[in-house]
Amino acid sequence: MVRESWMEIYPYYQNYIQNMRPLFEQSNRFMQDILPEDLEDKTKITEYLTEEEKRSVGKVKAISEFSAMYRRDIFTRIWDCVEDLRSTTDLEEIRDIVIDDFEDSIEFLDFLSTITSPEQFNYESTPLFLIVQYIQEQIFPRRNSLQEVYDHLIEKSVEYYETQRHLLMPTSSYREKDESFESPALSPLLFKIINEITSLFNLDPNFLESPKDETIEIPVVLKDEVFLPFIDSVANNELINLQQILKRMELQLIHDIFIGPTMNLIRVGEPHNYFSREKISDSKERIKPQLSNETLVLIYLAKLSYKRGFISKELINWISSIFSLLIYNASLLTFVSEENIFYTIFTDLKTEEKILPYMMKLICFDKYLGIDRTKIRDSVQYRKEIFSSIGSQIQSMKKLIVEISKYITSIIEE
Amino acid sequence: MAITVWSELIEKFQNGLTQSIEFLAERDVENIPGAKERLVEKFTQLRNFLPRNNGELLITMINNSIQSKLFPNTTNHTIAFNQILNARTLEQDSIISELIDGFISSQGKTLFGGTNRRILDNLVEAFKKRRDFKIVDHQFYAMFGDPNKPRKYVQERLDKIADFLGLEVENLHVEQDVRDGKPKNYRFYSFPEEITQILEGKYIEVQDNGEKVITEDFDKMVFISYFLATQSINRKNLDKYAINGICAIFSLILLLSFMPKLEVDETNPINRDEHFNPQTMSIIPKSWLTKGILGELMTPLVQIVAYRVGGINWLDKILLTDKKINLHLQAQFLLKDVNKWVLGNMCRVEIPIFVEISNIFSEIILGAEGGNE
Repeated sequence: MVRESWMEIYPYYQNYIQNMRPLFEQSNRFMQDILPEDLEDKTKITEYLTEEEKRSVGKVKAISEFSAMYRRDIFTRIWDCVEDLRSTTDLEEIRDIVIDDFEDSIEFLDFLSTITSPEQFNYESTPLFLIVQYIQEQIFPRRNSLQEVYDHLIEKSVEYYETQRHLLMPTSSYREKDESFESPALSPLLFKIINEITSLFNLDPNFLESPKDETIEIPVVLKDEVFLPFIDSVANNELINLQQILKRMELQLIHDIFIGPTMNLIRVGEPHNYFSREKISDSKERIKPQLSNETLVLIYLAKLSYKRGFISKELINWISSIFSLLIYNASLLTFVSEENIFYTIFTDLKTEEKILPYMMKLICFDKYLGIDRTKIRDSVQYRKEIFSSIGSQIQSMKKLIVEISKYITSIIEE
Repeated sequence: MAITVWSELIEKFQNGLTQSIEFLAERDVENIPGAKERLVEKFTQLRNFLPRNNGELLITMINNSIQSKLFPNTTNHTIAFNQILNARTLEQDSIISELIDGFISSQGKTLFGGTNRRILDNLVEAFKKRRDFKIVDHQFYAMFGDPNKPRKYVQERLDKIADFLGLEVENLHVEQDVRDGKPKNYRFYSFPEEITQILEGKYIEVQDNGEKVITEDFDKMVFISYFLATQSINRKNLDKYAINGICAIFSLILLLSFMPKLEVDETNPINRDEHFNPQTMSIIPKSWLTKGILGELMTPLVQIVAYRVGGINWLDKILLTDKKINLHLQAQFLLKDVNKWVLGNMCRVEIPIFVEISNIFSEIILGAEGGNE
């Protein structure tokens, strides 16, 4: 895979925006020049479109075809708007509405185009850097220790637990090998296993002397009780996989029979009351589990966030696509209202799939998410797949988009 | 014959309740003062009222609440779909999603599960794209098709899902396509007209010019509800895996609704946890969910639900081997988005279906007690 530099990706990111912006500008100028009564005359618009679509010899075919398609898209919406409103609204007023909508759309495109700089070293004051930092703080924090990352995730989980969990569960269906040292995404099956472990620890724990510290007894559950509903029997291969799965949640296999928390999990979980201590003799304490739904899911996420070099390809694509979608949708919300007649152009898959993949690569750089950008897939098919899950938005993500949009407004005002 | 079966099932459940009450009396692990007494009181009430009026209590709970909201007892697809749609809330959506998981190895899995699970998101996107509430095969291929595979592949998948869901397919032959001037065949997929009418308003907006645009509320749960409606009217043809899965979830809903609402001491750490909201949640002590209690109650309740929902046909398909009973018990791990673990306490989120079943319980008991006086 090619390791592309910032200087190489940036122009790709700008390419589409820079082609779209003039289309909106020119069309806006046409609207400003047109007499309101001519809005009712479809031939005026058709004449304009025919004139604009004449390709000069020097112009690249792809670009002129692209422009023609979008220009038609823009004018179809204008025509629809005139048809919808002309029985109730004055034509001059309709023209003003369209012009306002154009201006908002141009502002949005301008923001996207100036969101970052062509040189990587100027990053600190760019909106892209600030917004990525803001989102990371909510759902994927960077800190110096696992404890700090975990503490922060739990603090933010009250508002954003669903989004934090969504970040771990891609809807795409690429299979990943579990033996790899990299942490894969949470599959629906793995999520069920986590639920099961949480329930068993809470409902029916046994207690065993810790292999690391004989002064404490740690809670354990039977391995077979957790996994047998999912697999028929645990052989050597399964055992290796189980150990990998458990390790990612700071759990350990004890005597090949029991599953118990590592001392690390007890240490990071105790401040949040996920474990409490009970004295059972002068020299022994018992660690009692009182786990919440988010306890193990967030330790999985915290470990990924803390050790970003070990995230699997599938998950890297998913995390960066969620981040770029959040940035894109929050920017859209800031500038373009849902009533804007061009709103659906920006939420169209064909627009998103041309801007977001490059934004995904930009935000993977070290100063941003700091994950391996060479793993971002370039295939058109994959882009279609990953962005088609936009339809299943979740409630807490909508809330986060609103908050990011407020943050963008504060950046602009500064 | 039917009366005997029904009476036997009620008796079995009564015995289960007796054993659970005995189990509760023997154990002393409760860390919430008064919790044990409340559950014993509720279970005793339940046990005493079960046989009255030929099991009126359970019949009303299952018919008026579970069936009418999640699995309508009708042969009319439109009515069934309408009932499920009207009962939708965020939490009830999670129950419906888990019901779909109950269709283990049934056709639901091959269509909505595994690698195909995004097909529903794709359908939503495809409807969003157009202004006539239809999906066109060419457009669907352009949006989601794999360029390395022929369009036929997408068409076959769409045909299959349309057939399964009951979507209507319309063919259109065009002699000269505007783009390339060649003859072309288009296939349009849409909901039947009567279903479209139900969706109008909340899920589809009909513009003045007759265009139909889907709203923000239109999501994949609409398809899943439609799928569930199809299953509910075709309940006679379901396989035993699906029947066992569905009955286990319905039984768990009933059991959770039977459990009384508890209030905990102000000093309890759970009150300081921000994930716990005493207004919308109530604690179910974990001792109430141990195998000693659930083990005695789940199996007879699964049988009761099977009999009421699918008759003797379903009851015969309930598996009663040890392994399968263990699987019924796995139901305690279900509904994880509706029942949350908060600091080691199972918290029931008071969603409408729990509240409703609980209210039926109170109404019937109060009515009967009033009658006795």
